[in-house]
Amino acid sequence: MPTDSRRLTGPEETKSPYAYVKQKKKLQVLTGKRHDGRSPETLRPIFLKADVVSQARGSAYIEQDNTKVMCAVYGPREVGRKEDFSMKGIINCVFKYATFSCRYRRSYQQDSEEKDMSVQLLDALEPAVCMHKFPKAQVDIYVTVLQNDGSALAAAITCASVALANAGVDMYDLVAGCSVRIADNLVLVDPTESEEYKSQDDNPVNHGSVTLGYMPSLYQVSAITSKGEIEFEVIKKAINLCGNTSQTLYPVLQKCLNNSRFSLSLRFSLSLVRYHFCVQF
Amino acid sequence: MVDVQLSDAEKVFILHGVQDNCREDGRGCEDYRHLEIETSVMSNTNGSARVRLANTDILVGVKAELGTPSPEKLNKGRIEFFVDCSANATPEFEGRGGEDLATDISNMLYRAYDCPNCFDLQQLCVIPDQQCWILYVDILLLECGGNLFDATSLAVKAALFNTSIPTVTVTKDEGVVDLEISDDPYDVQRLDMKSSPCIVTLSKVGHSHVVDASQKEECCTLARLIMGVTEKGTITALKKEGSGSLDPTSIEDMMETGRRVGESLNKCLMDALAEEERQGTKKKSLGFLR
Amino acid sequence: MAGLELLSDQGFRIDGRRPHELRKIQCRLGVFNQADGSAYIEQGNTKVLAAVYGPHEIRGSRSKVLHDKVLVNCQYSMATFSTGERKRRPRGDRKSQEMTMHLQQTFDAAIQTSLYPRSQIDIFVEVLQSDGGNYCASVNASTLALIDAGIALRDYVCACSSSFVNDTPLTDINYLEESSGSPEIIAATLPKSEQIVFLEMNGRLHEDNLSRVTDMAVKGCKDIHDILDQVVRDHVSEVSTVHGWEN
Repeated sequence: MPTDSRRLTGPEETKSPYAYVKQKKKLQVLTGKRHDGRSPETLRPIFLKADVVSQARGSAYIEQDNTKVMCAVYGPREVGRKEDFSMKGIINCVFKYATFSCRYRRSYQQDSEEKDMSVQLLDALEPAVCMHKFPKAQVDIYVTVLQNDGSALAAAITCASVALANAGVDMYDLVAGCSVRIADNLVLVDPTESEEYKSQDDNPVNHGSVTLGYMPSLYQVSAITSKGEIEFEVIKKAINLCGNTSQTLYPVLQKCLNNSRFSLSLRFSLSLVRYHFCVQF
Repeated sequence: MVDVQLSDAEKVFILHGVQDNCREDGRGCEDYRHLEIETSVMSNTNGSARVRLANTDILVGVKAELGTPSPEKLNKGRIEFFVDCSANATPEFEGRGGEDLATDISNMLYRAYDCPNCFDLQQLCVIPDQQCWILYVDILLLECGGNLFDATSLAVKAALFNTSIPTVTVTKDEGVVDLEISDDPYDVQRLDMKSSPCIVTLSKVGHSHVVDASQKEECCTLARLIMGVTEKGTITALKKEGSGSLDPTSIEDMMETGRRVGESLNKCLMDALAEEERQGTKKKSLGFLR
Repeated sequence: MAGLELLSDQGFRIDGRRPHELRKIQCRLGVFNQADGSAYIEQGNTKVLAAVYGPHEIRGSRSKVLHDKVLVNCQYSMATFSTGERKRRPRGDRKSQEMTMHLQQTFDAAIQTSLYPRSQIDIFVEVLQSDGGNYCASVNASTLALIDAGIALRDYVCACSSSFVNDTPLTDINYLEESSGSPEIIAATLPKSEQIVFLEMNGRLHEDNLSRVTDMAVKGCKDIHDILDQVVRDHVSEVSTVHGWEN
């Protein structure tokens, strides 16, 4: 990979001191309540707002407590690359952690984890978009995680689907993302960063995480990913729980879009006024 | 992805066949195609394997190198997957054309192997905090005939099973640590691959799902479920791919099939590898000169 | 490399060959179904796969079209595990780019290019295991793959390397002999018409010996030609038997 030579990067050998800090071995929930006082099945409070980037065709911003994700959608516009003609549109997804968003500093370039996330995000959104409505064109989706406190992919899925709807891209349904952490016989919805599954702790079987993208009005799963070694029955239970939780998110998404539609129509009428002015003078 | 062009009529033909549990090549929905595995094919690697699943041809070489462990896992070694899509498979892979597919496959492998029970990284530790083995698993995709994920995972498991790492003796002399790497080809350490996962891909064709989809069948599917399954039937990684969506109940069905198929696939692979191992040097190595 | 005797007093090389002996060559045509032509060759421990696609329409930018002849497009890559030390990248480094260019020039000279105007022929070479003579094995494998694809060639292209140690020319040198610092001549020839299409020399060699070493390489090419020709004939007769074309 070519690196960006214009930016001054630190020496290659440096390591963040946090890497050597001993992590707390046990999940707090095993010894009582979750550390933020939630019960295992509750989501964190969500703040969702569409239309936050004025230059983009559509955009959205989501906060799940300390997880903050921003998404902007551009297009549909002409396919830039000289690709084969296709009757279907193309979606281009870029998922990026902001350099300061995680425990460790992220680099400016997309690393392999972020590339993997981009692919998963694309897989989650593609089934929801009417691709045949914009032949020969592409839609670009840029997702930036501003602060990562767990469940970033789930938040990104929700945020990106709202941004797509906000951009006026034809869709079959919205996609709500939800992730759970599986710890023995416990299933924790919407895990924070400290609750998330990390492979370096020596976890026995049935420790892992599942993320689901769910289309609430079609009752269809658009994306599913898991990490860690999990038994069949447990993962089944986790998927069901994810689906049900995503369903509860649906009214939140709808309300957010309803609110933004008002501002959208306002903007549209303003531009009409501007147009009239242009014609007059 | 390497695609073949299919007309609507051909797609309908495949679709109806799958519905009746009879696929275009006569298989049932849960049958694999003919699979050939050969290990120790490349002499300058620590372990290697070649898998040929009908048309799909994959060569895996494992090289072990000594290095420093990463700070999060000080008492463990590392395993690195690198996939190279050779232009031999299709001219589309020329230059950097195969990179997207390559990262897809390697990310899935990372995820499937990323749990302590299915591949114990502690066996790669030489001196805690200082030296460990890094296993470079290099996957070369020579021909694409569908179902790349499964074939790759089989080849990777076979190559890791075949891998022998030279024994290292650590001596401490007045605070100076000295590493002595044995060059005796029989003084080696083998890897425990018993509980490592295989990847099983289930492609949704019409209302049913099939395992080991051929290229033509991959053309007819909109959604695939890719899962890493161990011999015990636990699921180490799960991923949905493709532009279609899936019903929750059909996901359950697919996972059930995947688990069943994955268990027997693991078993068959380990049996075949043990059989090959038993033959030892008597086996005539052929490689590509079949 | 001191202490390493490239040629013993009895006239044997490190791997036990006589100076004029080639390594064992084994090859096979038609390894893959999807490619238009493919071949696999083993020269001692050097193992190379080659695939040929084409002639087909030009891919990518239209500006590459040649109106009077075919565009020969090559890609040389080495598997990351092919060398003793692991390679970081299979292709794109200086050495593979140079090798790609050399292959392209070689086959531009050997293919009857004027027969396929406005089209493209792809030759993809993959080195699976490298033990010296990568270029030679690549050329030999590509020739077989081109023949398998049915592309019109002026002649077989055979390549062989040679070196010069203790006043004796050595043919078909392996990795140890290659890296010992002794001179190296690589030649690719059209053996029937005795034309050289590619000639490269590395290292220091006295002018007086040049022709002896070159002759050794050219002789090696001829020997390789005999082997390849036999393989092609066997392959064709096998295929024709399968298809029932004998009578």
